[in-house]
Amino acid sequence: MLTELLQGTDAGGFLIIQDSASYSGRHLLKSFINAALNREEAVHVLGFEVSEEELKDGLKGSPVQRLHFHNAYTDPLGWTDQPSFTVHQFCLEELTRLVKQTSHPKPATLVIDSLSWILRHVSAPAVCKTLQQLRKGGAVRAIMGLLHVDMHQRGTVGSLCHLATSVITVAPGMKGDEAVAKITKRSKSGKVVQDEEIFSIKTDLTVVVQSKPSQLGHKQADPEEQETDPTANLTFNLRLSNTEREAKEKLALPFVFSKEKKTALLHSSPGSGRILYEPDANDDYDQEDPDDDLDV
Amino acid sequence: MAAPVSTVGKPSTERSPFNTTSFQKKTRTKLISIPGTRPSVQNGQLLVSTGVTSLDYLLGGGLAVGTVLLIEEDRYDSYSRMILKYFLAEGVVCRHELFVAAAQDNPDDILQELPAPILDDVAIHKPVEQPRLSCEPQDSLDAMKIAWRYQNLPKVQSALASSSRFGHYYDVSKTMEPEIRQAAKCHCFYLPEHPTHTMLESYSALLKSLQEVINREGFDVAAPMTKSRNILRIGLHSLGSALWGDDLSCHDNPRNGHALTTFLYGLRALLRSSLSVAVVTVPSHLIQDRALMGSITRLCDNAIALESFKGSERETNPLYKDYHGLLHVRQVPHLNCLASKLPDHKDLAFKLKRKQFTIEPLHLFPFNMFVSVLNLSADDNEKSLTLVLPACFYYRVSKSKVKLY
Repeated sequence: MLTELLQGTDAGGFLIIQDSASYSGRHLLKSFINAALNREEAVHVLGFEVSEEELKDGLKGSPVQRLHFHNAYTDPLGWTDQPSFTVHQFCLEELTRLVKQTSHPKPATLVIDSLSWILRHVSAPAVCKTLQQLRKGGAVRAIMGLLHVDMHQRGTVGSLCHLATSVITVAPGMKGDEAVAKITKRSKSGKVVQDEEIFSIKTDLTVVVQSKPSQLGHKQADPEEQETDPTANLTFNLRLSNTEREAKEKLALPFVFSKEKKTALLHSSPGSGRILYEPDANDDYDQEDPDDDLDV
Repeated sequence: MAAPVSTVGKPSTERSPFNTTSFQKKTRTKLISIPGTRPSVQNGQLLVSTGVTSLDYLLGGGLAVGTVLLIEEDRYDSYSRMILKYFLAEGVVCRHELFVAAAQDNPDDILQELPAPILDDVAIHKPVEQPRLSCEPQDSLDAMKIAWRYQNLPKVQSALASSSRFGHYYDVSKTMEPEIRQAAKCHCFYLPEHPTHTMLESYSALLKSLQEVINREGFDVAAPMTKSRNILRIGLHSLGSALWGDDLSCHDNPRNGHALTTFLYGLRALLRSSLSVAVVTVPSHLIQDRALMGSITRLCDNAIALESFKGSERETNPLYKDYHGLLHVRQVPHLNCLASKLPDHKDLAFKLKRKQFTIEPLHLFPFNMFVSVLNLSADDNEKSLTLVLPACFYYRVSKSKVKLY
């Protein structure tokens, strides 16, 4: 599923790459940028965490001209007189203006590196609102963001991922350059697909997906859980041969009634049982003499 | 003769020629009869259907007019949204008016996704299986050779349904025809169209809009009964999410906890004095403050929580393989009474089929197994009793016999 996501998100898609201190998701983000550039899309990057040179390292060729880097790395809070992009400019009007500045026929892809940096300075509801407005407005075709999960509370991460159409959580894998990606994708119809894959990123920023990790762990448990057939390896015989089976079927079971009696018992109508009482001589109970029936 | 005093002294020419007597039947207090509602058999409250007949059964026959139903969303908001759409679709079919509010999606988009009603004259729901008549073919009597006395007993009633037909069925794979939908009057509240100065005013804007609609369209109970009354169905999607402007779902200790609770308090007050009913969905899996979630639950009359298996480890659990998720009833309403009717079963699971959203009690595995063993024919019975024993029964095989513990 990782390759499908790399090949392109639908319009209005919002992808979040969740990483942590143990494995950085920036390499995967650069692979996504590379894939978008190769698809001849314009990519706008809001760079808060790394400088332009570091981000463009590895991306080469003519597509790089379509990458517009908005430098929020040198002066994100506007302390100098001429900041290029500050975190307070993260709102719908400013971003739309920024994206429309560079004229390009197709709507652009917006990459945010990283959302965690913005969440430290802008309140989470405001960030959610801006992202939702960007998605609904037509200026930006798709949004990709990097989120460091261990920097925020669970509610904040949950709220942002609730808005996202696809969420990729990366974690370090078993071997050196491998990593595990857990992918959740929500389609417009409400269907949710989940997947887990092992991938590694080559030097030219292409992603190689290897086998899924869940298969390795679970297959070892499966042979042990196979139910052993209790009728095997017994000292007595539980199976029936054909003649034995015929004889068994012919046997009249003690409480098996004939068909007529069965239907009579099964379908007795509610009022069919009647009690017929004929008073006997002994049933005369004389109130005054309780010992009337004594034979004395 | 019970002649009214005022007519005693009147000359006879004033009497209408059609009245032969001056006796007038004293009419009782006017019973409101609105299409799509019925009085409850338990306490006489006016009930509307939620659109899901199993849910109606759980709530004691239906949703009482003037109350709020809180639905705690499942993780990806698929099934709670489905129930909201059922609720609105039921309103369209019963010709009630709708009010839809959302912050994430445009309410018009939600209204376009409503499921199509199955308009048959005959009720679709299956009653409890009737006993087989004696004209049945022979196979059915031979179906149970040993346990034949149990043959006619009804199977365990799996789907919860009340006996009377109240509420409709919907086909999820089709959307409602535009003609049917446009016949119903809908009021929409899309939050981005109502810009507010501060983020926290979104709830008060919603409450004001609701109040204005109720007053203008005459849903107030106190309003003069000039025209026939109708019910207003209010659907509020995903209150408490970050897009409504409060940080309930973002922070562990939210500072704006009072915004949603005040809104719910005002909403319930508004509903009690009008002929309306509300369904509110809240993403409770994002709200970390359990005390706040508890107070939100208390402020609503009915509360259910949906927990879908999608994406959790329960998806592969064989116990849950027939169902899509669990349903927890968090609160039942006390309306003008001290005690309320609790549902019979506490473990409920739901399943979204194409034509029905069923809520069933969750039976544990051995129960189902015994039912299936009794249904087999005789020789399969004896052999399968040894094989089908699940791991929860301990058995030891010794040289001469098999002991069951």
